[in-house]
Amino acid sequence: MPAITVDNLTKSFGQTLALDDLSFQVEEGEVFGFLGPNGAGKSTTINIVLDFARPTTGDVSVLGMDAQRHSRAIRHRTGVLPEGVDLYDRLTARQHLEFAIESKNADTDPERLLERVGLVDAIDKKAGGYSKGMAQRLMLAMALVGDPDLLILDEPSTGLDPNGAREMRQIVREENERGATVFFSSHIMEQVEAVCDRVGILRDGEMVAVDSVEGLRDSVEGGTTLRVTVDRIDDDALQAVRSLPDVGDATVEDRTPPTIVVTVDGSKTAVLSTLEDRGIEVRDFSTTEASLDDVFQSYTTDAEVHAR
Amino acid sequence: MSSETGTGTEAAATGGSASSSLTLESVRAITKKDFQDSIRSWLFWGLSVFFFTLMAVLAGFIAWAEPEELTTLGFISLISQVCKLVIPLIALVLGWKSIAGERETGSIKVLLSLPHSRKDVLVGKLLGRTAVLSLSLGIGFVIGMLAVAFAVAEFSFPAYVAFLAMTILYGLAYMSIAVSLSSVTRSTTMAGAAMFGVFVLFYIVWNSIQSALGLLMRRGYIDGVSYTGTTLTGQQQEMTRLPDWALFIDMIDPGNAYQNTITLFSGLSGENIGTTFNEAAFPNGLPFYLQDWFSLVILLFWIVVPIAVALYLFDRGDI
Repeated sequence: MPAITVDNLTKSFGQTLALDDLSFQVEEGEVFGFLGPNGAGKSTTINIVLDFARPTTGDVSVLGMDAQRHSRAIRHRTGVLPEGVDLYDRLTARQHLEFAIESKNADTDPERLLERVGLVDAIDKKAGGYSKGMAQRLMLAMALVGDPDLLILDEPSTGLDPNGAREMRQIVREENERGATVFFSSHIMEQVEAVCDRVGILRDGEMVAVDSVEGLRDSVEGGTTLRVTVDRIDDDALQAVRSLPDVGDATVEDRTPPTIVVTVDGSKTAVLSTLEDRGIEVRDFSTTEASLDDVFQSYTTDAEVHAR
Repeated sequence: MSSETGTGTEAAATGGSASSSLTLESVRAITKKDFQDSIRSWLFWGLSVFFFTLMAVLAGFIAWAEPEELTTLGFISLISQVCKLVIPLIALVLGWKSIAGERETGSIKVLLSLPHSRKDVLVGKLLGRTAVLSLSLGIGFVIGMLAVAFAVAEFSFPAYVAFLAMTILYGLAYMSIAVSLSSVTRSTTMAGAAMFGVFVLFYIVWNSIQSALGLLMRRGYIDGVSYTGTTLTGQQQEMTRLPDWALFIDMIDPGNAYQNTITLFSGLSGENIGTTFNEAAFPNGLPFYLQDWFSLVILLFWIVVPIAVALYLFDRGDI
């Protein structure tokens, strides 16, 4: 049974279409990265999963239950770290956690939870005085109350320094090992890369790719960029390079000596030999792999991928 | 997909409650949290101190003036003047941001990420904030009691406590209005405007309605009701009053409804002070909706109807 099933989900706000016939599944026990630029519809999707918002059309089921009709039962077994929300300024970390524990009828020790997220020193301080990172840690602790079967983390790294982000990923791994499914949204690829089994990329309310990190990397055309410095270049030779089967694109950087930038998926030697066949002298060349950021860029913008 | 069988067991595990229903545990958890939270509001304590001061001044004045034969009900009536004006103010200020504020800061998502229904949230907020208001009322009433030691003849403690309970109901009515309006507005600015609207409606507009109707009656646009009454000098005289429906409009104001219930305590204090409306003006008997017990119905109306409408609306649509 999948942990989350989204079926032909459409959500519009007046004239604006936020989600357009979105379908995907999150399998039980996996860490699923939900990736997309700001405004792609990630929060809208999460809002519908948690019944904060209602679908225009389509169905969502969570832990095998209808997201609308059985929202309370779903939320009983789900831990949520919502994005961009304030805590209760006048309440302490302990009071926040006691409220969550009471609400979930759970048997968790607030102190141990705060130790886990590294906030135990501030347990009796009011949340109004917390930094963004401290608030995020407290919210993560609240999400962990009652060992939930499903964790929904919306942009969990917000406000965390690199060290905090690493600790957060460590907790995600621990929770996953315990058996929890983790649904993890972010607009930064490198944050999901390290922990996610699979990644779904959302763009303008549509899922443009769902795959493992490796699979995504492979799927992007122009995984490698070849830079060739030559003594001269002519249109004829450039056309010949472009027409090679493995080549995605070839451009000339205007300088002396000229440099040809070629995105290539397979054999690099074919490019070099094509140039040499036309009497062009290859003085130097280098290759670069596309970074995951470029992969993400390629799915979420119209720009083509060029490795640096 | 086996969602039907799956949901059966899940629903049973969580007490079988549907997602939009009310559950006692959730309401209690939210009430407790909201009490802890709003009792730490400086604005609330500022207004409360204002209320305490008024009560102390009133008690001090009564103790100093030592009016002849001040009965418990007479004393209650004086106190109700203060409460009638101050309680709506505290309730509206306390309830103003209850939901709209949580929406604005997003903390409502913290509440609703936990297994609470939206109805639980509304009712929990209403009860939590009314509890905070009641605490302030309780303190104010203890302060008011200082006057009793000096001035009130044959003080009836049960009547005083019953009156405190009625005052809490009055606070609950205004809190119901405040929380409900806060839940249907999308921003604290809009909610604030709504609170101000309620304030103007019941503090200014409602009181003008009676004067306006009286004016219309004297000009002959509304038929008044004639009766034979007794003037202050004891003479029998032909008098005119507003028709029943016009008097009823006046009773709808929660503040008037609250004050009209005071006579209901005459049994407890063993006094007989008659009814709000002069019975001589109703030769055919007082219609049921002008009798004092009906004011209690009106007060309950102001508690139940706003929150019921809000429960219905808040459950629909997006947060």
